[in-house]
Amino acid sequence: MSTAPREAFDGPIIHAEDLWRTYQMGAEEIQALRGVTFEIQKGEYVAVMGPSGSGKSTLMNLIGCLDTPSKGRYVLRGKVVSEMNDDELAAVRNREIGFVFQTFNLLPRATALHNVELPLVYAGIPKEKRLEQAKRALEMVDLADRMTHKPNELSGGQRQRVAVARALVMNPAILLGDEPTGNLDSATGEEIMRLFERLHEQGNTIILVTHEKDIADHARRTIHIRDGRIERDEARRKA
Amino acid sequence: MLFGEAIQIAIASLRANKLRSLLTVLGILIGVSSVIAVVAITEGLDRYMSEKVLELGTKAFRLQRHPDIITSHEQWMEMMKRKRLNMDDYEAVRKACTLCSEVGAQVWTGSNVKRGRTIQKNVGIAGVTENISRIGTVRELLAGRHVVQQDIEQAAMVAVIGTDLVDAFFGTMEPIGKEIDVDGHPLKVVGVAEKKGAVFGESQDNFLWMPLTTFMKLYGSRRSFSIQAEAQTMGVFEAAQDQVRVAMRARRHLTYNKPDDFNIETGETVMELWQTMTRGIYVVTFVVTAISLLVGGIVVMNIMLVSVTERIKEIGVRKALGARRGDILRQFLVESVILSGFGGVLGVLGAAAFSFLLASILGNMMSANFSAPVRPWAVALALGVSSIVGLVAGIYPANRAAALDPVEALRNE
Repeated sequence: MSTAPREAFDGPIIHAEDLWRTYQMGAEEIQALRGVTFEIQKGEYVAVMGPSGSGKSTLMNLIGCLDTPSKGRYVLRGKVVSEMNDDELAAVRNREIGFVFQTFNLLPRATALHNVELPLVYAGIPKEKRLEQAKRALEMVDLADRMTHKPNELSGGQRQRVAVARALVMNPAILLGDEPTGNLDSATGEEIMRLFERLHEQGNTIILVTHEKDIADHARRTIHIRDGRIERDEARRKA
Repeated sequence: MLFGEAIQIAIASLRANKLRSLLTVLGILIGVSSVIAVVAITEGLDRYMSEKVLELGTKAFRLQRHPDIITSHEQWMEMMKRKRLNMDDYEAVRKACTLCSEVGAQVWTGSNVKRGRTIQKNVGIAGVTENISRIGTVRELLAGRHVVQQDIEQAAMVAVIGTDLVDAFFGTMEPIGKEIDVDGHPLKVVGVAEKKGAVFGESQDNFLWMPLTTFMKLYGSRRSFSIQAEAQTMGVFEAAQDQVRVAMRARRHLTYNKPDDFNIETGETVMELWQTMTRGIYVVTFVVTAISLLVGGIVVMNIMLVSVTERIKEIGVRKALGARRGDILRQFLVESVILSGFGGVLGVLGAAAFSFLLASILGNMMSANFSAPVRPWAVALALGVSSIVGLVAGIYPANRAAALDPVEALRNE
């Protein structure tokens, strides 16, 4: 889909170099990430996998620009995110990141269309253009006939598809899924995974954060995290 | 994010919690409407005072033995030592005040008036000069004629009566030419004065006028006169009063360092006294009602804090989708201002109803027309203040929302 034209960029989408993240818990210092380095190219389909407490959520927050590293350098589409302030981070999230959450995180009182429109509102795009783009995004996830429905009038799978449409509407650099099938039954989960597959084939860069091997297996590449470090970074064996 | 978006979001969120929003609005409504109503009632009372109580036009003033309102016992004792104003004083003032268009005199007593076996109690009985009804607030006649110069020269046994006496003695009968019994003296009714209604619950129509000379024949000359004068123009209002003052001081042989031992009252002096007496009460009332507005503001702040706490997750989502600090701040500030601004608008309507109600109750109590006007400036003030209250009450909660860490906020359930 097309949004505002953006400058061409042919370097890696993500360049992460020695990322550290430490939290202060009372007197204790917890090192959630201890020097993580990786690159993700445009159009890749990557799973970040690890057990709970491995640091994968912390890594996801850094990749999603919700947080900044304590140490290290994080470059997203050529922009040095690790040195940005709150408002710059908000702008990057708005422009470059499409979040798909485990719990959907749709606004309960807003219609599907309005939920999808939200990132465009914060991008300052005028009303008419917003509606047009939001409708197109909903069509992409096959929900053109559910635009005026509120989340509680939709099934779990439909809700997650609305969330995917919302993630896509700004045509972001990466689509970042955080356990996107965690709250869905396996059949619906498969349906969402097929949607991701399709989006990948259309050229979107996708990163899934998960602890389920079945889900990670959909990706072309898996980064295994354990104890705040990258344990393994492997491409899928069969194509 | 545009302002219009913020307003839409705010309205949607207020509508989602209708009862809560309504109760919050009620707090502001009460505050705003009581402030406006207090201003309206205050002004209504002042206006009522100046119109009804004074009965003095703008160019008229009154020379009296003592002021209308005495505020202490000491003052009263002092006043009782003063000399009465008599016929000679009246003549002297009339000669001295060349800037006056009219100088008249009246002297009052109270008594019962009879006709046949009907008794009308506590009738105000006045001896007047022929011009008295033309000085200050004009009193027209319903029927018959006024006391005239000839009546005064002859000390004629005639009376102009108020409508209360007409109602008591004559009903629908023709009163002109009939006789009434004033303290054992028969007076012939020659005129009926127009009805004035009541002031502070006291009828203004239970009176009769007779010629000044007749009054002195019947009641003696021990009562002090009230000398009423009207300046030719507004421009010589002060000068006319000075002429009277100089004449009186000369008659009383007062040296320059002695204060006046008589009193000159104008509409202004009475109003000033009324205002100094009532201003304190008004200020206290205003402050008390302003406190209710403050309480309304606290209610708004409380609800906004609740609203922020409930929506931490939503704030996290919005931030994840690209909302900046300012976007979140604006969203909650707008919500807070709409909440209390709406209360302000309703408060203005409430105030109009409230002051109308209060005015009619007060009017009933005083059995007179009484209006409490809702002033545009009071409305503007109330709306402005309620919006500012909303803004101030919203700043802290909105700031808290805007400062939330997106990671923490998203984790909130």
